[in-house]
Amino acid sequence: MCVQYTVSNGLTLRIDLDSDVPAYRQIVDGLRILLVNGKLAPGSELPSVRRIAVDLGVHFNTVAEAYRTLADEGWLELRHGRGATVVERDAPAASAEKVTEFRRRLQALVAEMQSQGASAARLSTELRTAANELEL
Amino acid sequence: MNLEIPFAVLPLALVAVIFQFMPLLTRRGIFFSATVDPEFPQSADGRRLLRSYRLQAALWTVLALALAMPLATTRPQFGARLPALLLVAGIGFSYWLKFREIHEHYGLRRPEVRETSLVPAEENEGIRLWLVIPPFIAIATVAFYLNAHWSQIPDQFPVHWGVNGQPNRWANRDLAGVYGPLLMATMLNLLFLVFGWVLLRMSRKSIMRYVTIRMLEVLLYPVTFTFVVVSLLPVMRIPLWLALSVLFAFIAGIFFWAYRKITAPSAPDEGPEPQSDSYWKAGVFYYNPNDPAIFVSKRVGIGYTMNFANKMSWVVLVGILLIALLPVLLVRK
Repeated sequence: MCVQYTVSNGLTLRIDLDSDVPAYRQIVDGLRILLVNGKLAPGSELPSVRRIAVDLGVHFNTVAEAYRTLADEGWLELRHGRGATVVERDAPAASAEKVTEFRRRLQALVAEMQSQGASAARLSTELRTAANELEL
Repeated sequence: MNLEIPFAVLPLALVAVIFQFMPLLTRRGIFFSATVDPEFPQSADGRRLLRSYRLQAALWTVLALALAMPLATTRPQFGARLPALLLVAGIGFSYWLKFREIHEHYGLRRPEVRETSLVPAEENEGIRLWLVIPPFIAIATVAFYLNAHWSQIPDQFPVHWGVNGQPNRWANRDLAGVYGPLLMATMLNLLFLVFGWVLLRMSRKSIMRYVTIRMLEVLLYPVTFTFVVVSLLPVMRIPLWLALSVLFAFIAGIFFWAYRKITAPSAPDEGPEPQSDSYWKAGVFYYNPNDPAIFVSKRVGIGYTMNFANKMSWVVLVGILLIALLPVLLVRK
């Protein structure tokens, strides 16, 4: 599995079509990182669905679905036939279900990394670094 | 002097020379349309494969020339078509064999990593109206001029010349005959603009696309110049050598600029578009049903080819053919 998101040198989204992670998920995750860390600030305009789909070599519906997901989360306002605009968003209080879901996914990820030989201390450092990088 | 043989042989020889160098007209990491290590073409195997291809191409050339020379005098109706077909098909077959061998034994599989900029499209990407409108104004001006000087136009006048400079097609003083060349120029210019517009929308951003769009914009000028000169010949004395010199100088200038732009040290090293060899049929035809792009950078030479798995590609292809053929059909009617 190899998912890469480039955020340096301008705003760039990169996906790996060989990855086990579906293209839709990679696009949502990549954009969400840029939204959470503020690289995509409110008022920013995202390219059209067609532009992103052609550049990434994925179906138009894949990108449209990713935009819709982020719009449902309150990050984007969709503009018909054009693209999307980043909107101001109040950070919602995480629901108990979301926290449970997050814990489940995290446990799976931690177990996977531990089975690859990563120590608990190393994982803890990695998690703290990631959280600090994304903190607004 | 009998010119049939030189006229049949010279184009074939020119095409044969281009085919000899074709495998080298590519980007690093691509060899005979297959993805390889960038150093592979210089390796012993790479040089051996290139030598083998060139030898086969030379043999096909000899065969085509041997066919062309007797045909030129005994069956002029075939012209150079049959030998040219043999040449292209034969060398194409040799090229495909090399592509298959390199792909199977020396090919690399690059990761299918794709990237897109989230910054809105830069302003210098689009087609510049101030540059593409003047040719249309020139065509309209000449049309008005011809209308005003209608009585000076001879009943019959030449509209096409052979390679030897002698007229070989004539037109009558009627709407199709007088305005046909201008209509042809208009349609060709529109064809370039439509191609540029589709390219902007349905291909990936690259230095190749930037250069192609700029070339398309500027190519409107030599096209317009050519047909305007042809349409004015019945009422104006224009030395053909001068018109041809201006035309060739202009076109050479455009291609020189494009070559310099693409090979400039400051040009971004984008490498080939990240597609697996499996999407390239015979190494030449791009067929990827998952890719919404209609145009992709060619693996050999400069320019673009189509994604033949995309239905829209066929629509665009038919549209382009219709635009190209419409003036011919209208003029012949």
